[in-house]
Amino acid sequence: MGPGALVGAVMAVFAVLVWSGSAPAQTKPVSTAPVHIQAGEALYNAHCASCHGIGGVGSKGPELLNVGAAAADFFLATGRMPLASPNLEPVSHKPYFNPSQIADIVAYINALDVEHGTPGPGILDVTPACANATGNCPTLSEGNQLFLLNCAQCHDASGAGGMLSHGYVVPSLRQATRTQIAEAIRVGPRPMPNFGPGQFTNQQVSAIADYVYYLAHTPDPGGLGIANFGPVPEGFVGVIFGLGLLLLVSRLIGNRG
Amino acid sequence: MAETKFPRVFTGAHGPEDGAGETTPWPDDVPPDQDDTWYPLRDDPWRARRMEYVIAAFWAITALCGLGLIVVYCTGGEAQYEGWLLLGAFATLGTGLLLWARYLLPGHDIAASRGHHVSDPEERAAIVESLSRGTDSLMSRRGFLVKKVLVPVGGIFGVAAIFPLASLGNRPGRALYHTKWYSGARLVTEDGQALHVDDIMVDGILTVFPEGYINDSASAAVVLNVGGALVQARHGQADFEVVSGANGIVAFSKICTHAGCAVSLFNVFSMQLICPCHQSTFNILQDCEPVFGPASRPLPQLPLLVRPDGYLIAATDFVEPVGPGFWNRSGD
Amino acid sequence: MSTVAERSAARKRAQLEQKALDWADDRLGSSKWLRSAMDKIFPDHWSFMVGEIAMYCFVILLATGIYLALFYNASSTVVVYHGPYKPLDGQSMTEAFASVINISFSVRAGLVMRQAHHWAAVIFMAAITFHMGRIFFTGAFRRPREINWIIGITLLLVAMLEGFSGYSLPDDLLSGSGLRVVFSIVQSIPFVGPWLAFNLWGGAFPGSGVFFERLFLIHEFLFPALLAGLLGGHLAILWHQKHTDFAGPGKTEHNIVGSRLWPQYAIKSQALLMFVAAVIFGLGGLVQINPIWVFGPFEAARSSAGTQPDWYVGWLDGALRLWPHWEFRSFGHEIANPFFPGILLPGLVFTVIYAWPWIDKRLYADYEEHNLLDRPRDKPLRTALGVAALVFFIDLTLASATDVIGNGLQISFERLIEILQYGSFIGPIVGGLVAYRACILLQGGNVHPIQRPVGGTIVRDERGAYHTLGASHGENGHEGEGHDVDGHTGNGHTGNGHGDETTLERGPAGG
Repeated sequence: MGPGALVGAVMAVFAVLVWSGSAPAQTKPVSTAPVHIQAGEALYNAHCASCHGIGGVGSKGPELLNVGAAAADFFLATGRMPLASPNLEPVSHKPYFNPSQIADIVAYINALDVEHGTPGPGILDVTPACANATGNCPTLSEGNQLFLLNCAQCHDASGAGGMLSHGYVVPSLRQATRTQIAEAIRVGPRPMPNFGPGQFTNQQVSAIADYVYYLAHTPDPGGLGIANFGPVPEGFVGVIFGLGLLLLVSRLIGNRG
Repeated sequence: MAETKFPRVFTGAHGPEDGAGETTPWPDDVPPDQDDTWYPLRDDPWRARRMEYVIAAFWAITALCGLGLIVVYCTGGEAQYEGWLLLGAFATLGTGLLLWARYLLPGHDIAASRGHHVSDPEERAAIVESLSRGTDSLMSRRGFLVKKVLVPVGGIFGVAAIFPLASLGNRPGRALYHTKWYSGARLVTEDGQALHVDDIMVDGILTVFPEGYINDSASAAVVLNVGGALVQARHGQADFEVVSGANGIVAFSKICTHAGCAVSLFNVFSMQLICPCHQSTFNILQDCEPVFGPASRPLPQLPLLVRPDGYLIAATDFVEPVGPGFWNRSGD
Repeated sequence: MSTVAERSAARKRAQLEQKALDWADDRLGSSKWLRSAMDKIFPDHWSFMVGEIAMYCFVILLATGIYLALFYNASSTVVVYHGPYKPLDGQSMTEAFASVINISFSVRAGLVMRQAHHWAAVIFMAAITFHMGRIFFTGAFRRPREINWIIGITLLLVAMLEGFSGYSLPDDLLSGSGLRVVFSIVQSIPFVGPWLAFNLWGGAFPGSGVFFERLFLIHEFLFPALLAGLLGGHLAILWHQKHTDFAGPGKTEHNIVGSRLWPQYAIKSQALLMFVAAVIFGLGGLVQINPIWVFGPFEAARSSAGTQPDWYVGWLDGALRLWPHWEFRSFGHEIANPFFPGILLPGLVFTVIYAWPWIDKRLYADYEEHNLLDRPRDKPLRTALGVAALVFFIDLTLASATDVIGNGLQISFERLIEILQYGSFIGPIVGGLVAYRACILLQGGNVHPIQRPVGGTIVRDERGAYHTLGASHGENGHEGEGHDVDGHTGNGHTGNGHGDETTLERGPAGG
């Protein structure tokens, strides 16, 4: 946010970072080595081209000429792609490809994007703000605030997920990696909206991703988290388990006549 | 311990048949001939003593849990250890009490008359007499003091007592009709950044406030980039949307017109905003008309303009009251 | 059995007891009442203990609540939090929220107390509801117990409001959303709504600085005092009228069968208190409830998926979700949507519940006094209506979880709400019909255990007398109290709720 010129500059720098493939500070490097790109192309042609078209021009699936390395990495690393059938909704699965294969395909998609114009967002390098929860941790707090205002309405304040209209299930974030969270924010895997660099700086995205990871990987201070879905499972446990147990005790104490 | 089930013992008949206990319950409940000093282990001192040791063992665990709680507390406290120890302490204390009551204390079933829970007819007659001693004199001269003086006086005094209630809060006045949006107010995010027309990408969404009123409850709005899709505006609101290049920027009140929660689930596929409280669903492209759920009015749209330097500003306040309905909402 | 030393100790103890009780009696004349109290008979069917569970939950709520009140700060003043919970470090929040975060993370044993308090509230409401169902289905509300029904329903209502006010005190995102909805419901009341809401909150939502002070006053003084007073009345009336009992051998409308309060029943009851505490504190330490640090401080612009109230308010939240998008506007005025499910529906529901004893009288043209309980099957119409109401209540409660259920079952909330909308009509009808049919079938089956003497078999001896041979007699060495069952046994159950008046008399030793 800020004057247009600044935003333009940020975007330009951002694009250059992706372009160059070298990533100081905030974006992870995407290989530009021909050997990786060629390996990625082979995998792409075998597994992706039937829907996305040879060279990413799109056919049954959307074109991939300006989606960016983050989108490619997100959809492949969360197992959303490849789809068994183009009619299916991409939902999180065990990844089909191994990490080095994914890196190759991402390199290929990135090369396609660079070739065809403005590439989409690159892969953010999210470093944990606080390795352990001692000491001051300002980015964790920033991530918490941004998450509660911009993400919690769909993903739940606990990151457990929820429901959108038309039956779209909002996925849980509790198994996601920091990188995947950052990628999703930038890419906006529909029906999720996207949050571009004009809305969140890389540092803010990194803070959100770090907070969500912290939330999901810190033991619940109160004991069992019971699905982290709020009052519904709490009521269930209280009424069925709590009162149920006490009714059994009553039967033990009282007459059963 | 072998299962020692109580025989249900009725050591004396005390129904209406015997005619005795009905009228002379003693000492309220229990007839004098019913003796219940028996308990399951009374005639087996060896097992009774063994049971005492079992109970003592349970209560020893209670004490250990108590010591554990002290240790946990003094070492900084930890909810799960405290939970286990409290569970252990109370459960063993309870188990000991239960075994004690069940095997070592008398208390098997006996029967007794219910007696009467109502007063005798003479007493009922007497109380009317006592009461009318008062009412007769209170209502002398056809109740002059009561009916003609005390009732109206009490009424006036009672009305006077209602007035302090008005101190509880200010009257609504025009508060429900307006928000803090004003003509020329920049759209700023929660962290104070003013929003530029190019800041939001297509399918992007952001929560904004009028500059100077961050986190004002009634003024929260969502600003969205709907891309090339023009929002089908209500009559007279066609110019509320800002179009800049391929971007169509619209802003709507974030306060649900049903029950006031923050409407901000954004389904990009169907271009809908959904409220997480009661699932009211609004179609953005049709002026945020409600298409599902209990809301019956569209989300008010904020008229937007672009300043020459590119910042998004509000043209005016919302043109209608935001949020849930109320009695004289349309009586602006 | 007892040694000389024991006998002498017992004598000494008796003297001491006499002295102490004499001292009290000299001043209060307490012996007469105390004796009748200790000898008071309570039937101890297990289902009669659920009200006790509720009462003990209340005891634990008071104890934990007092502890929490020592640390809670009912203030809307904005402070910056600095403490051990890092994601909130440096954030602005109300003192109310900050104090509950401190209870959870900085006050030793605070988190256990807080969670136990919340679990106790959840189980309190569950026990009250179960207790109310037991009273309803067994007809225990009939004359002379109508007043206690009224008090009991008022207890339910106040406990519900007490629970909601407590849930709202931390000023977190979840409870703030709940308060926002309640403000909207109050605001929707015709004519006075906005004025009433502004007066309760001290201004426009989220209210002025006095709001949490008011809410706290209500939660920690007004409602608990009301609950304690009503509970006292509830128990006093129960004490005076004596407990109801199921029909059974030896039980009549005019007698009461059970064990004396002192000592066994009292100690058993204390055991129950301990088990209630064990479950509540066990949950309090081991199962997380209402993690307000996850929800964060409330801001009107924020919201979270899974915004639900605690389970006992769920039916009202569900009603808000299921109610169609109707608002009524004419002559420049409108009755806003939340009024109907938020005010009218609970108003009607509670009116019917309050009036039920009198509705029931008319339904069965039964104005008599009853001390023996109905078996639910013997009053199929009442049972069917009760089951219908229960299904309706469950349907609405499920509706308050549409997003969570939808997420779990991968069903769209649109479909789920539609199903539950139809379900709120069809479910009670189907449930009622099934219950009615089940009652009729069970009546024919004649299988209820209370028709047989418990714990023994009946044999007829050569003289024609009936003997109960308890299977347990020989095992526990209890030989002295076998019992003849003189006359007929309990096979004459007539299905009208009145027990057969079997007479049981003390038999000869050795049974």
